Formats: sequence, C-alpha cells, structure tokens
Amino acid sequence: MTNLLSWVVLGAALLPGAALAQSGHDHRGHAQSRELPAPPPVFPTWMDDRGADHMFYKPGPYNWSIRNVPQFAADMYGTGVGHGIAYEALVTGQADKLEGPIYDSIVKVLKNPPRLPIDEGAILPTFKRRYGELEKVFDWAHTLHFQTIDVLAHRGWTDAQKEAEIERIWQFYSAQPYAITGLPLNMEVLDGYSYSGAFRTKYPKVNGLFWGYHWLQTANYDMLYRTPVETHGPQYQVVGERYRETELFNTEREFMPMTGELSPRFAKRFPEIANSFDNLHMLHDNVNDILATNELTEVQKKQQIRIAIWRVLATTHQGETAGEGEANSLHDHRYPFGMPGMGWMKGATESEMYMSGMGWMNMEECGHCSIRLPSGDEWGATVSANGWTMMVRCMLCARDMASETIGKAIIRAATEDPKQTLVLISDELGNWTSNLPEIVFLEVKADHPECNDWSKVFTSRRAFDAYIAENPDYKDAQPIALSEWQTRNEGTPETYRRINRPSPYQRNGEVGP
Amino acid sequence: MKNLIIATSLLALGTLGAVSPALVHEADCPYCKLKLVQNTNDKDNEVVVRFGNKKIEYRCIYCVFADQKKLTGDLIVYAPSEAAGKPVLVRRTGGNWTAPEGTVFLNAFRRHQECAGLSRTFSSKSAFDRYVAANNVANAKALTLKEMLAEVAKAN
Repeated sequence: MTNLLSWVVLGAALLPGAALAQSGHDHRGHAQSRELPAPPPVFPTWMDDRGADHMFYKPGPYNWSIRNVPQFAADMYGTGVGHGIAYEALVTGQADKLEGPIYDSIVKVLKNPPRLPIDEGAILPTFKRRYGELEKVFDWAHTLHFQTIDVLAHRGWTDAQKEAEIERIWQFYSAQPYAITGLPLNMEVLDGYSYSGAFRTKYPKVNGLFWGYHWLQTANYDMLYRTPVETHGPQYQVVGERYRETELFNTEREFMPMTGELSPRFAKRFPEIANSFDNLHMLHDNVNDILATNELTEVQKKQQIRIAIWRVLATTHQGETAGEGEANSLHDHRYPFGMPGMGWMKGATESEMYMSGMGWMNMEECGHCSIRLPSGDEWGATVSANGWTMMVRCMLCARDMASETIGKAIIRAATEDPKQTLVLISDELGNWTSNLPEIVFLEVKADHPECNDWSKVFTSRRAFDAYIAENPDYKDAQPIALSEWQTRNEGTPETYRRINRPSPYQRNGEVGP
Repeated sequence: MKNLIIATSLLALGTLGAVSPALVHEADCPYCKLKLVQNTNDKDNEVVVRFGNKKIEYRCIYCVFADQKKLTGDLIVYAPSEAAGKPVLVRRTGGNWTAPEGTVFLNAFRRHQECAGLSRTFSSKSAFDRYVAANNVANAKALTLKEMLAEVAKAN
C-alpha cells in the first residue's frame, strides 16, 4: 500500500497541473504510523464553549415521518440508547463490565427498543459533561441522519421534492460549526493511529453492536431512496430482521460499515451526506479506541478526542475539494471511481476496494456480470441480501445473484418509467413479491455487455409491447410473468471476474470443524 | 482529480494479473468462507444445494450439513461422487435426511483448507475404498448418512 501510494503521489506530481493540496498543518496519519496525533495550532472556539448550544430540526412537514415504519423508528431510537449506555460505562469506571452485564443490558434494550427518541443526556450524563463538544457534533450529525430519513419516509412528496429538500437539509446542517465534512476522508489514515483498534480488540461484542448500529444507519438509505413509501414497511421486515438477528451480533466484520457499501444509490446521489455519515462513524470508532486504550492518561484522552473531532469538522477542510488532496494524509480526499460518496479504503486502488463480507469489488461494475454499470434513468438494479447491497446491470443479474445467496432478499430496480421503482422482496426460498402488480419481464439471453437491453422489467404488458415495437431484435420475445421469471437461473455469466486478492485486513475467516 | 486518475490508472496495469475471468463460478463457501474448489474434467468438487428457487454452492458436504439450519424447507444436495457428472443426490424432506442405498461419506479433514478433498460422498463402499487408496487418506472411515450427520452435529 505504501508503495502504491508513493506511485500515486509521484505520478500526480509529475503531471502538469497535478492538484495536491497542501495541508495547513502537518497532520499526516500514515497508515501503520503509530504516532499519537498532535493538536492543531488552534481549536475552533466553540469547542471551549460551556453552553449547551442546543440546536434542533429544520422545520418541515416531514419531521418524524420515520414513525411511518414504527419498528424502524424504534430500532433507530435504540441505537442512541445503545451508544449512550456504552459511553457512560467507559467514563464511569465500568469498562470491565462492558462485555458482560452492560452488554446484556444493551441487548435487552435493543430487543425492546423505545417507541420515542430518548434524550442522550438522560443516558450518558457523565460522558456529556466531560465531552460536551463531542456530544454537540454527534447530536448535530444524528439530526442530519433523522431528518434525511424523515424526508425519504414522508408521504405525499415526489422524489424530486424529496431530493431538493435533502439538499436544503445538507445546507442547513453544513452551516453550523459542528458540521462534519462532506468530503471523502482516507479511512485507512483515520484508522491508523496508535490507539486504533483498541476498542474492537478489547470489547469485540460491544464493538459489534456499534457497527451493527452503523449498519442500520447506513443500510436504510437505499431502502428509502426513490422507493415507494408503501414498500418501506415490507422492506424493513427484511432489513430489520437482518439487523436484529445478525448484524448486531456480527463480530467478524473487519471494518465499520460504509454508506456507499450498503446504500450505493443514495451515496452516489448525495455523496457529501454519505461521506459525512462515514466520517461520523469513524469519529465514533476513534473515540471508542481512545477511551479503550491503556496507553493514554485521562488528560491525553480528552485531548485526543478533541483532535479526533477537529479532524472531521467541515471547517478543518474548508476550501478543499473532493477528489484532490495529499495522498495518505488527513487531507486525502480521493474516492474510488464510481463512488464519490466513499473515502479511500485500506488497500484500495482507484477502481477496486475491499468490503468486509463482500470481498474485493469494483463499484463501477455489475456485481454479477462485471460489466460496467449503466447510468441515468436506466440505472439497473440493486440487490440487498445477506447484509450487503450490490449494484447490478439487469434483472437477470439481480435475480441470479439473489438466488445464489442464502436468505431473504430485496431487489430495487429501474422500470421503463423513471417515476416507478420496482421493489421485489423474496422469502428464504426465493419466491418474490412485487409492489407493482402488473409487471412483466423481457429475458432473451445474449451477451452480458448488452444485458440491460435484453433483460428488463416493465410495469405493464403495454410498456413491454412498446419496447418490443421499438426494438425489433426482440420481436419474437414473449412477456414473462413474475411466477415464471423467479424460477429461472442462468448461472454465472461468462464475463464475471473475480478479483483474487487477499483481504487487506488479514483476518482468517476460516471456521473449524 | 483527472491527473491523479491518470497516474493511478497506470498502476492498474500492474494489478491486471490479479483479475481473472470466471469461466466457472468462483465464489466463497457460505459456511467455511474459503473459495469453492472448481470441478475438473475427471472430478466434481462443488456441492450444489437447491431449495425453492435458490441454488447455493458449498465447498464440501460437511459444510452443507453444518450450515443446514440456515437453509429453509426441503433440500436437494447434488453431492460430488467418485464419478464426474454423476452426483449423489442427498435430500432433506420434512427435516429428514435421506440418501440412495449404499451411499457412504468420507469425513477426514482437519482444517477446512482440506475439506473439499476429504469430506466427500460416494455411491458405494468400494468407490470409497478406491478413493481412499488413491489419495492415501489416513484414518479413513466409511460413514453412513446417520453417522456423518452425527459427526457434524458433534463438531458444531
């Protein structure tokens, strides 16, 4: 990786006009550098403000629409309680109970989550007094989380209205000093300090819960984005089940969940918001590690948490640009091809990155046939199954990918009508139900580079006929009903390519007999 | 960004060797997470499980039995046998496992890296004996379906 990035820097430096932003501070956090980060010359003044500086939601008719999916709302409220109980334990001398009775008490709450949001001050009073500036950043970012969800879950607005309001919410959020940057940050750098990994090593079960919360907080966006509100409840039956039964208790994940990994469509459309969520979640990881490490005094912990906050603030990166920056530094704002809503990951190249549970992937390519993804109104589909979400080119790719995966699945797909997104939900046997009752499929198997031409879904027979009339190559094709379509399986496309590289996290996932 | 992209694109040339077209299904086993071992002209290795509209591939028969709680409903397992293209069909119907008469299992692996070669299904004891002799498998015991399931259950 070091050599790779050296080449990147060298290559960029040799090219005319190479854009390598110079940091105002030498705050390089080179991967594997075990130096303790130094503070900036000056912290933002608000960080020393003793006032509560409490802010609230941007007014709007959509607020609290998350409650349209009651179980989802409750699970999201539960994540706040879970975070709070753990943080309070870490600062009140109860760290030794974290993996035992405190873990049990958190799980009890998560299994019986609150029906209303809980003020975190009631759960972590000591932590809030000690790290008030951190709570301001957390609270404000959590407000961004909830308000963007509320807009997407709101009934009665068009997708265009929702997207415009989400842009306004981002501006509302970004205007405050506590805002986290929407620029992609280098995740390897931010997870490469001397204390990094301390929490997940000492408290793997509670770390699993934290990453489970962050899984839910990122996986939900593609569930909601440009999908009909009446599908949100049925979709959440699958997503919520996965969250409550598996993701919360997953201690095998190698890195925190990323928004672009779990909600790729939302992350492509709103990269700044996706990046801010990932940066928020990395701040959580940094804080957890700082609190868990034995190598720091209490004074040093306070200082390091302030530095961790400063690192991700929008003001720290003011004037910088996505896609630019000094490689392998705090100001490295590169992102992978095809995914502006994701920072640089450990071991990544410009087109390939490793995702825990998914392996190496190219976010510009179909997860099933490895052909470049389409764009625009005919964007293809996404498949959510087994805790991951992958983008695919066509309905065949979506179906076959889901049918080769254990468990329930969700396909979200473009139809001929940009205003109608198909949402298919399958049971454990691969039997699909559709939100659009009259759908028919075209499937005339040919080469995969054209699969999004010959494998499509239409909202009606009439739309199918119109497509056939415009595409005489398929004049002999018959419309396929969902009941027949779901029984098909064409196996692995000849174009599929596997990226044969080991995990950069070097964990051995073998299980024993 | 453009310049950076150009520079990094040069690097991609160096990584092409790490990418291979998948002439066969190169996936990981859902249970042991190791790569599926591909079929060859004279030996099948991939264990295919079909249920409903699902088709899941495993690295060995042990992995299927160990992972069976995740699989819903009635199953048909296409277990590679001693003969390529002639799998033994092991079924789970109403929760009960059955296999054709005479079927025996080998379960002699110590690490999952070895499971595809040492956890296998045979149509007969004589086929088992030939495989064990040809591959110098130590401490091999021909297990009935019931014994095989009991071994897997004991290990999990």
